[in-house]
Amino acid sequence: MANTDTKPGTMNPVGKSVQRLDVMEKVTGAAHYTDDIPFGNALLYGRVKRSTVAHGLIKRIDVSKAKALPGVKVVVTGEDFPNLIGLYLKDKTVFARDRVRFIGEAIVAVAATSEEIAEKAIDLIEVDIEPLPAVFDAEFGASKDAPLIHPDLANYECPNFIFPVPGTNISNHFKIRKGNTEEAFKKCAVIMEKKFRVPHVQHVPIEPHIAVAQVEPDGDVTVWAASQSPFSQRSSFAKALGVSESKIRVIAGYVGGGFGCKAGVTMENVAVALASKSGGRPVKVRLTREEEFFTNFVRQGLIINLKIGCDAQGNVLAMENNQWWDGGASTEYGVNITRAGGYNSSGPFDIPNITTNAMCVYTNHPIGGAYRGFGMSELHAGIIQVMDMLAEKIGMDKVEFLKKNAIQGGDFNVTGMKMHPVGLQECIDRVAKELNFGTKEKASSPSKRRGKGIGIVWKAPSMPPNAGSSAEVRLNEDGSVTVSVGGQEIGQGTFTVMAQIAAEALGVAYEMVKIEGPVDTRYSPYEWQTVASRLTWSMGNAVRRAAEDARKNILEMVAEAWGENPANLDIKNGYVVSMKSEESISLKNIVVYGIPRPGDQGWIGGPVLGRGTFMPSYVTNLDKDTGQGARAVVHYTTGCQGIDIEIDTETGKIEIIKAVSVFDVGKAINPDLVKAQIEGGFIQGMSSAIFEEMKLVNGVMKNPSFVDYRIATTADLPRENIALFVETAQDDGPWGARGIGEHPMTPTIGVLANAIYDAVGVRVLNPPLSAEKIYLAMLEAGVVS
Amino acid sequence: MTSAHPGLPEFDYVKPAGLKEASQFLAQHAPEARPFSGGTDTFVRMRDGFFNPKYLVDVKGLDGTHVLKFDEKEGLTIGAAIPMNRVVTFADASHYPLLVEAAKSVASYQLRSRATIIGNICNASPAGDTIGACLAYQGILNIHGVDGYKSLPLNGFFTGPGKNLLIPGDIVLSITLPVPPKGHIGRYIKLGRNRLSDLSIVGISAMGVKDSSTKSGYKFHLAIASVAPVPFIPAKAEEILANNALNAETVNLAAQAAMDAVTPIDDVRGSAQYRKFMVRNLVHRAVTEIMQKLSA
Amino acid sequence: MGFHQISVKVNGNDEVVTVSSNMTLLRMLRESLALTGTKNGCAAGECGACTVMLNGEPVNSCMVLAVEVDGQEITTIEGLAKDGQLDIVQKTIIEKGGVQCGFCTPGMLISARALLNRNPHPTEEQVVEALVGNLCRCTGYSRIIESVQAAAERS
Repeated sequence: MANTDTKPGTMNPVGKSVQRLDVMEKVTGAAHYTDDIPFGNALLYGRVKRSTVAHGLIKRIDVSKAKALPGVKVVVTGEDFPNLIGLYLKDKTVFARDRVRFIGEAIVAVAATSEEIAEKAIDLIEVDIEPLPAVFDAEFGASKDAPLIHPDLANYECPNFIFPVPGTNISNHFKIRKGNTEEAFKKCAVIMEKKFRVPHVQHVPIEPHIAVAQVEPDGDVTVWAASQSPFSQRSSFAKALGVSESKIRVIAGYVGGGFGCKAGVTMENVAVALASKSGGRPVKVRLTREEEFFTNFVRQGLIINLKIGCDAQGNVLAMENNQWWDGGASTEYGVNITRAGGYNSSGPFDIPNITTNAMCVYTNHPIGGAYRGFGMSELHAGIIQVMDMLAEKIGMDKVEFLKKNAIQGGDFNVTGMKMHPVGLQECIDRVAKELNFGTKEKASSPSKRRGKGIGIVWKAPSMPPNAGSSAEVRLNEDGSVTVSVGGQEIGQGTFTVMAQIAAEALGVAYEMVKIEGPVDTRYSPYEWQTVASRLTWSMGNAVRRAAEDARKNILEMVAEAWGENPANLDIKNGYVVSMKSEESISLKNIVVYGIPRPGDQGWIGGPVLGRGTFMPSYVTNLDKDTGQGARAVVHYTTGCQGIDIEIDTETGKIEIIKAVSVFDVGKAINPDLVKAQIEGGFIQGMSSAIFEEMKLVNGVMKNPSFVDYRIATTADLPRENIALFVETAQDDGPWGARGIGEHPMTPTIGVLANAIYDAVGVRVLNPPLSAEKIYLAMLEAGVVS
Repeated sequence: MTSAHPGLPEFDYVKPAGLKEASQFLAQHAPEARPFSGGTDTFVRMRDGFFNPKYLVDVKGLDGTHVLKFDEKEGLTIGAAIPMNRVVTFADASHYPLLVEAAKSVASYQLRSRATIIGNICNASPAGDTIGACLAYQGILNIHGVDGYKSLPLNGFFTGPGKNLLIPGDIVLSITLPVPPKGHIGRYIKLGRNRLSDLSIVGISAMGVKDSSTKSGYKFHLAIASVAPVPFIPAKAEEILANNALNAETVNLAAQAAMDAVTPIDDVRGSAQYRKFMVRNLVHRAVTEIMQKLSA
Repeated sequence: MGFHQISVKVNGNDEVVTVSSNMTLLRMLRESLALTGTKNGCAAGECGACTVMLNGEPVNSCMVLAVEVDGQEITTIEGLAKDGQLDIVQKTIIEKGGVQCGFCTPGMLISARALLNRNPHPTEEQVVEALVGNLCRCTGYSRIIESVQAAAERS
């Protein structure tokens, strides 16, 4: 979309709401998502034989009839892929080997000349499973009475910041021991203790998972995947096949929604496994919507017991926080989500005494993956409510209570990290003002009730301490700029923001910048993953540095040609200008061909290339027993959300009159895209808070389709969905920016529950906050009869 | 347990040109042949493995399935090939406001471009939105079978869960809704999880009209979706509204009677307890609204 | 399994295709005619990503058999822009910021275009009703609704 004509474009685009650069192909249907790429008639289609038993020993697999079916080219089982894999804890194999651990687990895969033949082949495969006692509750799973799902846990490879407990179902036990909670509770005037259950939900990207894999003639493997993390996937595929990273190439084009589920590896391994035995024919595996719901990544359920106490003045003194995460049959991200639940366990509050036990527990449920918020929605569902209850009990204004206890710059937080400046107070003030918080609104009819809820959240990018970004900037003859990155455009607007950053840092118009796509691990520079709301900050830094590197090269070249000091030169709107001599020269051509010396006595310069990398250097480990450390995370994004609702007491249905979300983004590189993330994130939060639940009964998902897994539609919107931001700069963010992608949905469960309580005096602790739950709670409380 | 990869099975698509041929084909190949029109129910059920016919017989090419007409004496006739969107925009359908409101509540605009009222009736889903209205309007099914044409009143058509009076070879060509009582008021209240679209947790079809032959001077037809295998008619509630002065207390009693009469199940969409209360509250709401309009 | 040769007009072009009885219109468009703009989100008539116009009316193409459209006219997302000029609904959805991952976008635009064809001045609720069968997970819908209203104003 680079605009190479001479009309002036948008200069200094950082801070401006420029139009996205990836829309033309999306509105015309030209954008190729992975299922749209043509592969010719050599393409084979894969299907998977899945476990129908939640936990059991595999006694017999007979694939002979499937192999004999005309059109079937490949059949693979766990026998063929023995390596243990996993992003953190290596506890799973591509296919179940000796035992199955959840309904939907892959046991056998088939590649055939059509999906229909592959499906027929699947039906011809016989699998005998001897059921074992199963675990369907995380708290039970962590207890001594629970059957072991991974008896071999002690032998699994594991990074040094994950702490499994051998001989149990606990794949990670993260502890915070700060201060002395026992003593502190004695000093509390009010203590509130509540247990919450947050059910599993699914990401529901509109594009289901898909991957195509092909072994090249030289043995290298190419994978086309709808992927948020091509480089991490490359690493994973390499481990699954037992080869080194450079033998694998991942090409990640347009992604139809990720929300975390397309980070890491699940079904893509099946495509790779099948392709490794298909004699060079490409193999496509695409999930049905049903498979998307119950066989792939989900947001793991949480049981959280919170005990929080404050003194008579409303200062929160102590928190005891016990979390049992229903991690599922194996962990990919689950252990790290648990860790995040641990090191963020205070919520955005300054609490001097904290005892936290965050445990990831194996269960015979689908596998917990990264889901927008990475544990923060579930964690705050409880914290936001308990804080609300405390404020009421101590007789304090709810906004005042939040402001009094909100974390501030300079505080030492739950892990002992010194907080950087945060604009949280401003966020709270703005929400309170927008919602007229504290004022009771008039209901629209005698059978309706109005209520308001408010809550604050925080989240840091959850990633290893050495998650790196890199970028390259190339100048073209026509003066346009090509930027190469390894992070993905999944709809959040990353490519647009990177183009703005590159344009600003270089001195060209935004329209002159093109982001190279698709991300291809063969050509693109490394990016850890497109997750964690980290790209604007991390990859943005890399892009800025790359653009500044290119700028430096250009200025040095022109300075030499003009006999000037590069410090007196600038690049403005695609021209190098001298502030001293007022000379100017277009970037065109010189950025490739260089500048001739006078009288053609040689040449200066040459093709301009800029490189930039960014990797945080300061994140430290946390103590195994106390969770304390100098710097747990890179930074926090904080914010506040408030919701004004009306409840129909005849049905329990909620109408959201007004929602207000204010987040501290440091610097809005593209204000409209920031607002779009907040608006869209709020709706996803609302949808998962009110409508969504994976109804798991004895390991079976009872609602694995859109018929009974409902998400928000156009008809379910708030009357007003207000998205605002404040800007308290992040010291090492590009122009002060930090991330926003995940945060908008994280407060919504708790805030809605608070609003319901304000409206009808009934507390529904656990989502989904469905009309039925609200009605029956009102009935039980005598609010209706 | 839901299949991991549901899909349409293999079948032969057949589109007979003539009614005689069609009925004979269906009778000869029963139970392996099934008629379909819009397909929105049929394809979903086939995909989910509920039935697996060898032949799918498209009725959209047959005489009598494309009718959409209103006659001052006969009433409204809607053919089996007429999608719901067309019914909704048909000017004379406005004589049947309960049907229009119910049809508009079905699924989405895209699905209503294909889904038909006859299909809604023949599939007899407990959640079928338009069936209650068709019952209230005393619909008559016009059918062609191996023995030629016949008519069946919709009342009594359903004989049990998933069972009806059709025999092999029968093709429902259209439904005729007789001219409704003058001045009647209709209301369809559908409670789903989402505000629009969705399958109903409960669906209340209510029609009220002034009627000098009853004690109260009013007659109400009620039908409730999603509380029984077929639309449930709370006869006691209708009686209360016919036999007692129409006031707030009577409406309360009728709503309570409706609640007491239904025995819904717990399912993935809602619990029996919630459904019962919603029957009470929404029958109350529907009847109250109708009452207010009738006395205005 | 039956096979049928059908004639269908797609985006103004006459096509002849052989289809099996159980092939959906969605699959025919994507696989037989290489029109991949129309998307498969659920194959069950729920998400609307597969929405195309059949004789001017929006349908879920996953809920229509290819053989049923013999002799009929289809418009897909590829047929919305005319002579390289974007349709007004395409322009306004860009302007309002109603496109993020883009996967729901083709279905949304077809539903929007069909709405304005039958109702040039819809109310907000009518826009909501017209799009309720198109699921989006990214945008939160409000910008898409606004874009349809803006398109109506400027038509």
